[in-house]
Amino acid sequence: MATLAFWVLLLAFMGAFAAQVARRVQLIGAAPNTFSLDHLGVRTSRFVVDVLLQWRTIKERPFTGLMHAFVFWGFIAFGGYTLTEFLYGLGIVDLTHAGWFHAYRLALTPFATAVLVGIIYLFIRRAFVRPVALGTTVSVESLVIALFIATLMITFLLTFRLEEGTTAERVNFWVHAVVIMAFMALIPASKHLHLVLSPITVFLKSTELGNLPNLDFEKEQVGLETVKDLGSKSVLDAFTCVECGRCQVNCPAWGAGKELNPKTIILQTRSALLAGDREKKLVDVYSADVLWQCTTCGACENQCPVGIEHLPVLIGSRRGLTSNGEAPEYLGAMYNNLERRSNIWGLGYDQRTKFVASAELEIFDPAKHDVMVWLGCAGSFDADFQKSLKSMFAILRTCGVKFGVLSKEKCTGDPAKRTGNEYMFQELANANIADLKAAGPKKILTSCPHCVKTIGDDYKKFGYEVEIVHSSVYIEELTREKLAVDNSRDKVTFHDPCYLGRYAGKVDEPRALLERFGADISEVERNRDNPYCCGAGGGLLFNDQEEEPGTRISDVRFKQLQATGANTVVTACPFCSIMLKGAGASAQSDTQFVDLMTYVNGKLQPRA
Amino acid sequence: MILVIAEISSGGKLNRATWETIVGAQQLAAALSTDIAVLVPGASVGSVAAELAAAQVKEVVTVEHAALEPYTPDGFTAALQDAIGQLAPSHVLLPHTYQTRDFAPKIAARMDRALLTDVTGIKAAGSETAFIRPMFQGKLTADVVPLGPAPHFVTFQIGAYRVDQVVKGPAPAPVRALSVTVDASAIREKPEAPFQQAKQAVDLSQAERIVSVGRGIKEQANIALAQRLADALHAEIAASRPICDAGWLPMERQVGSSGQTVAPKLYLALGISGAIQHLVGMKGSSTVVAINKDPDAPIFEIADYGIVGDLFEIVPAIIEAVKS
Repeated sequence: MATLAFWVLLLAFMGAFAAQVARRVQLIGAAPNTFSLDHLGVRTSRFVVDVLLQWRTIKERPFTGLMHAFVFWGFIAFGGYTLTEFLYGLGIVDLTHAGWFHAYRLALTPFATAVLVGIIYLFIRRAFVRPVALGTTVSVESLVIALFIATLMITFLLTFRLEEGTTAERVNFWVHAVVIMAFMALIPASKHLHLVLSPITVFLKSTELGNLPNLDFEKEQVGLETVKDLGSKSVLDAFTCVECGRCQVNCPAWGAGKELNPKTIILQTRSALLAGDREKKLVDVYSADVLWQCTTCGACENQCPVGIEHLPVLIGSRRGLTSNGEAPEYLGAMYNNLERRSNIWGLGYDQRTKFVASAELEIFDPAKHDVMVWLGCAGSFDADFQKSLKSMFAILRTCGVKFGVLSKEKCTGDPAKRTGNEYMFQELANANIADLKAAGPKKILTSCPHCVKTIGDDYKKFGYEVEIVHSSVYIEELTREKLAVDNSRDKVTFHDPCYLGRYAGKVDEPRALLERFGADISEVERNRDNPYCCGAGGGLLFNDQEEEPGTRISDVRFKQLQATGANTVVTACPFCSIMLKGAGASAQSDTQFVDLMTYVNGKLQPRA
Repeated sequence: MILVIAEISSGGKLNRATWETIVGAQQLAAALSTDIAVLVPGASVGSVAAELAAAQVKEVVTVEHAALEPYTPDGFTAALQDAIGQLAPSHVLLPHTYQTRDFAPKIAARMDRALLTDVTGIKAAGSETAFIRPMFQGKLTADVVPLGPAPHFVTFQIGAYRVDQVVKGPAPAPVRALSVTVDASAIREKPEAPFQQAKQAVDLSQAERIVSVGRGIKEQANIALAQRLADALHAEIAASRPICDAGWLPMERQVGSSGQTVAPKLYLALGISGAIQHLVGMKGSSTVVAINKDPDAPIFEIADYGIVGDLFEIVPAIIEAVKS
């Protein structure tokens, strides 16, 4: 009788589970396939670190993350116990009196205690502390699930106290089993589906931050326009989201009071998918204003503990808008510049030629030169950034490096790519790749982190592979044996560019360089591989809105930098430099900005 | 005979590009040993015709018709087709404005005649005369000789000829009226009253002269000094971002990538360092004069005239000089 009841209950709850999961699996299956299993080694090690060791969960919120890890590790540890109990309940086999099972139960008691501690902490955090990242309303279902988990642990611990065969023991057994079954039925429609999906999602997450495969115009791909265009990985992401809000609190747009909230984007995707209107326009799901507020800094995607990729949705939707001529007006002006003059400023290439002459640069020849220097739009035209490049050239010459530049360069296409103008990006990329192939560099050196990303990652998708290094990395290695000419120490702070610290993961090299050449770094909040964006990325450098919601992202970042107390801000990206200098000037501050290369060169050579 | 079609801007004033076209016509007339007539279409064009009569041309022909005001492509095509038929010129020259871009192809197609657009110059090609025009977004230029029966239609790029090179006649050219028939009922367009969708309350893009201030102005009280210079020069005042952010001047006076894009004849930059995002907003200025303390300021890279020094000494001196 009891066995039959167990069977009936289990089948009923499993049926409820399966029906809800099937709906989601079906939606994933119906989406265009964007799953990839390349770089299996990287994926496997990430799985171990982020899933099994819970590193990404713990890293940002150490205490809360550890409490979560307690619960997670407890779940894993209890796997065998639950299986054994269910086999017994179903009358298949009774292993509950085996000697090893007793030892296993004893070994589980510290886990049970840890889970209990963890879940009580998480319950209090969610019900009473209510951090902003978790949203404004208390999720009742999450509280119920927390109580379920606590019940499971208490009923487990009670088994040591209750004598077998007594009514109390039987009730305890049934409560434990039924709670597990009910839990299962609750999972699929809640954020607790991440229990099932997140290991898969983490494994399937691209190994490249902000991975945006090329659109194939032959197949008339134009980007994401409607719900049905969302790729299978994005659909999986939507059902995996655990709503922890790490993406939200790390988003510079949200932090500056804009409407964009990356968590909302994912939840809106989920609702839109479940609503079943496959023809609904994505711009109506998310709103155009929100889509154009993203700086593509990558914080959301990089901080997500469950492997969600936000950028393919955000930039993919921008592609859909741009393909239909619905990009904001300020981007139209920038696209014109790219189309007519092949650079973002719309300036004539005679200015680059003048700079190449005045800086006495040679045209790259692989037989003569060790490295090719890529100037980029800033290096070609921005007189301010050209000063930093001249510093870099001076360091290279001091160290005896032979280098040359291309006789002509076009914009790498970064601002076109990140704003969804894929057609223009591919035109620029193809032209540059042809020139680069003809010139034949083995190694490219640039001071622009955006060029590093575009040439290094995006050009790979055209089959062009070349080693491209940022100046901070190249010059750090080059000057390892060199020392500063004076022993003075300067108090500075360093602003990690998103495309250097987060995308390229180069956080130690610029610091090593600074420290070697006399800098005492006062670290700013949000640094290293999780910097707060300057506000320039994703085409927002060109944003000309007079009125925008909240404050400027650059003003927020400038205040953070000012709060370090250092009067000198070292930058390593021309766009960060433009944004932060602008914010500094608007704040009427006397904070000095200096590019990393200029800083190093100033210390390498005795001042006249 | 070469026929120049004058253009009247909204507001009844002569579009200065007409003078440029007359310079081109004078060059073409010399090459072909022929004379020039200037045709002025509109509803009431007497004063403009009198203004144009100063040029050394054979005559100024007015074509006045109620159907020509406001402008419609159907009205202009009908009136001009009739006038061109009566005058029988060898060439019809027009400035390459938005308006001619609208109706010139229509007339040329209607009359089945060649039309060369956006021409930048004229040169001899053997016994023929070729017109130079850009191709592939200005990457190449082509020398084009129009074929087929006259008249040949040619539109000149704005700025291809300089207004100050127009040859004036010893006495005003005769002005005569030509009557044309326009079937008003055949005009399909019904224009609304013209309006300007000004992005900002202040439209700096139309300013001929701009005095622009940057952080070198130091404090809000000193804006008055820049304003005095602007008044003396009959210029608009503008600023770089920090000045507008500080509220010293309204946001609508900001020049740069996050403000307005301007192209005045004179851009006077006072204490502006010339960050790239400012430069891209004023790079189209004809003449840039920069005053800055810092000789390494990037603004000097694009300035036509640079003064390294204290703007608080230099600006009052300029105001004095302009006033006297």
